[in-house]
This record gives sequence, structure tokens and C-alpha cells, in this order.
Amino acid sequence: MENAVEIDNLCKDYGKLHALRNILLNVPEGTIYGLIGPNGAGKTTLIKSLVGALKSTSGNVKVLGMDPLRDKWKLRRQIGYMPQSPSLYDDLSAKRNILFFGSAQHIPELEKKTSDMIAFAELTDRADDFVRNFSGGMKKRVSLCCALIHEPKIVFLDEPTAAIDPHLKLQLWKLFRQLANSGITLFISTHLMEEALLCDKVAILRNGEILVVDTPQNILKRGRTTLKITENGETRESIIDSNPDSLAIELQRFGLNQNITSITLHPDNMEDIVLSMIDEKEKQEKK
Amino acid sequence: MNTLTIAKRVMKQLQGDRRFLVLSIIAPLIIIYFLKLLFDAFPSPFPITDFTIPISAFILHFLCFILCAILLVQERTRGTLERMLISGYRQSSIIGGYTIGYLGLATIQAAAVLFESLWLFNLDYSKETVFILFIVIWLLAIVSVMLGIFISTFARHEGHVFPFIPLIILPSVFLTGLFIDVNALPGWAAFIGKCLPLHYAVNIIHEIIKPEYSLSNTYLDFIILTGYIFFLWIMASVTLRETA
Repeated sequence: MENAVEIDNLCKDYGKLHALRNILLNVPEGTIYGLIGPNGAGKTTLIKSLVGALKSTSGNVKVLGMDPLRDKWKLRRQIGYMPQSPSLYDDLSAKRNILFFGSAQHIPELEKKTSDMIAFAELTDRADDFVRNFSGGMKKRVSLCCALIHEPKIVFLDEPTAAIDPHLKLQLWKLFRQLANSGITLFISTHLMEEALLCDKVAILRNGEILVVDTPQNILKRGRTTLKITENGETRESIIDSNPDSLAIELQRFGLNQNITSITLHPDNMEDIVLSMIDEKEKQEKK
Repeated sequence: MNTLTIAKRVMKQLQGDRRFLVLSIIAPLIIIYFLKLLFDAFPSPFPITDFTIPISAFILHFLCFILCAILLVQERTRGTLERMLISGYRQSSIIGGYTIGYLGLATIQAAAVLFESLWLFNLDYSKETVFILFIVIWLLAIVSVMLGIFISTFARHEGHVFPFIPLIILPSVFLTGLFIDVNALPGWAAFIGKCLPLHYAVNIIHEIIKPEYSLSNTYLDFIILTGYIFFLWIMASVTLRETA
């Protein structure tokens, strides 16, 4: 698999502030690559360097084999960019916004592609409504359509799920997976750690430095679980790692059948509970 | 092609913002009415004709500059400017599109300001003079739009536009020949005055409103005024940044 993005020792300074320090990353084609980090970690700066909107202080960047600054206009035909804020014209309809940003690349059959894109984002009923009347989540979907209208090979999404409800977040991630399955590379920044699990590979960024690059599963294995077992009023505490085998091995000491070699727990978090309640209600309403 | 797409979008935006549209046409008319009240209060005889059209042109210059600068800064703060560029629109297309998009409004503003001044101050000029005056004011409006776009590059939000008013616009009142011949000013002040586009518009107006004017005396000023459009277009294209 070839790399859609290659970053070699990228640094970006704003005066004395080191926004990015020696970033080294390779993003394989057709994957969902997560850039995870708290606010102010340098995620937006990195994305803007990759789309050619910012000049780096030092280092090399190749996106689809091109230099984002030197080959700016050629590269921009092949990349999509969804900024953190919706960055849409409130006084235009959803359809007009998509047509306007799509017009920059002189795409054949733009009208048809716009209609398809609107259907893909499940916005057909609201296509002709002014964006100013849209909810934050709907604006995000229009913004995504604007980033995708010219059928880019790679899409950079800067905190696409920030400040939207869990239900829509799930819908957006379904769309992202569909795009990745169709061969598009997605480079997604987020400060929401749980979204790391939805990526194929993640890089964790803190204070402009990469802490780790790995698959989410491997990162999870680094986690530890505190196991407390009370037997006859006596509580024993042990620390196990997050490997599914570890819990089984630990419980075997308390008489668990030796044939059970792996135990995994998937407790619902608040988001899962709320989403299942919404789903249940929707099913009831459909009946 | 892209320039026209952007122009269409700007026109749509202006049409959609009725309050902005009405204010940008009504505001200069109200200010010219105040000018009439002021001139009426001056002890006569007062040479109204020497000042009316140049001051009206300045009012339009000021308003076009500030309105266009704010519109473009809004594009920057909303992130649509950055998005336009990353989507593939070039700087020169954006500036061209903005100018063409604003041209319709600038034409209405120029016509409204000129005809109100002629009517309110009972200025009796020939049709040819009125036509040339309209062209000068219209050209100045385009220069003002360009200047607004250029200055917007140096502003991160709308508030940053205002410090440029005393820096660029207000010196035009005192140094461009609006009230007194620039050559009567100290050399350095006259030099600053001659760097400001209003100076050339004022020169043409002063020549054209003479009973026996010679169009050939205005050619150089017309060339310089038009040159400002291209100069500011290039400057704005070079300096228009993608990110704040």
C-alpha cells in the first residue's frame, strides 16, 4: 500500500512558540487516519500545512507525491478540506454552497454530482433551504459535501464531529467509513479520544509533538485495568493489562474454567445508552 | 470563469443583505444632505461648485472602501476565504469576482451621489460634463473597492479595518486638493497627497466643472486613476493571505 501523505521532520514555529516539532508520519492510502490530541496540540496547524495553507518552518511534506506549497494548485484538484468551522455561506442554500465550492474545479456534470452528494449526506429534503436555518450538524454535512464534491483522493477533516450530538456523530462516522471503503484516504483530527477507536491508525499529538503512532487496538493494549474481587468480605485488588487473555488468566486463579481463555467486557457508556434510547424511540415511532 | 462565479455569489450576498444594501445607498445621500445644510449656513458668497462634487466623491470613496474591506474581512473570519482558496479559487479570481460583484452597487452609489448633489445644490452642468463626472466617481468607487480588498489583508477582524481610516482615508481630506491646491502644501505633504487616488479624481473634477474645460488636461489623471485599479489588483492578489 502506498502512502497518501509522507511527513518528514516537519516543524512549524510562530515566533518562539513551537507549534509543530519534528513530525514524522506516513498515511497509507485508503485508510482513516486519526490525529488525536487535546485542544492546542497543533492538529489544525498540521492539517493547514498539509493542504498548503501554511508554510512550514522546516521539514518535508508530500501529499499524493506532491509538495503542498510548490504544487499547490495541482494538488488542490485532488484534495478535499473540511475546516473546523462550517465555513459556508449562510445566505446560500445547501445546494448553492456545494455548487459554488465545486465550481472552482470545473467538474463535469456538477449539478448531477451535487444532487448525488446531497443524497449521500441525506439532505435531499433540505437542499434548497438557506444554510442559516440549518442546525450545526446539518451544516457539518453540507461542509463535508463541499469537501467531497470534486471527488478528491484524500480528505482532510479538522474536528468534523466537534460540537455535534452523538447520533449525528455516529452518522458522520458511517459516512467516513463508506468513503474509506471506496478508496478515499481520510485524515481526521479530533480531540475526542473515543473516536480514535473508529480509525484504522492514529497518531497522538501533544504540544506539537507526536507521542505515538499505532493502531487503536495496539494502543488500547497499553491500557491497564484494576480488578477488585471480594471473597468472603475480603477484597483483593490486582492490575491486569487490557489484553482479553489477561482477565481470563486472572479469574482462573479464582476457579474459572481453564477452558475459558479470553474474556472481553463491553459495558455501554453514556453515549451508547443515549443512542440506543433514541433508536428504540425511533423504532416505536415507525411502528 | 471562476471570477464570474465569485461575482455572482457576491451579488447574491449583497441582494440577500437588504439592510446592508439600503444603508450603503442611503447613507451617502444623507451625508450629502448634511453637507448641503452646512454650505447653506456658510456666509455667502461661498463657492459651492468648487467643493460639492469633490466632497461627494470623497464620501463615496470612504464608504466603498470601508464596506468592501469589512465584507472581505468577514469572508476571512467566517473561514470562507480560506475555503475558497483551498477549493481551488485563485487570489486574482477572488479579487476580480469581488470587484465585479460590487460594481453594480458601486454604480448605483455613484449615480445616486452624483444626481443628488446636482439636484440639491442646483448645479447646472452640460450632459457631457455630468457623464464625465459620473465616470470619474465610478472609477474612484472601483479604486475604493480595490483599496478595501487590499487593506482587508492586514485585518484579522472587522475592528482592524478602522485604524486604516485615519491612516489612509482621512489624509485624503486634507492632502489631495479637496480644499486647497496640493502645491500650496509643504513638499512632503504634497507628495503624500499625490500618492492618494482621490487626488487624481479631484483634479479631473476641478477641470471638468470649469465652464471652458479641456478634456486633454485630464488624460494623465484618468490614466493614473485607472492605473490604481490595476496596481491595487496586483497588490491585493500578491498579499491576499489564506489564513488569518
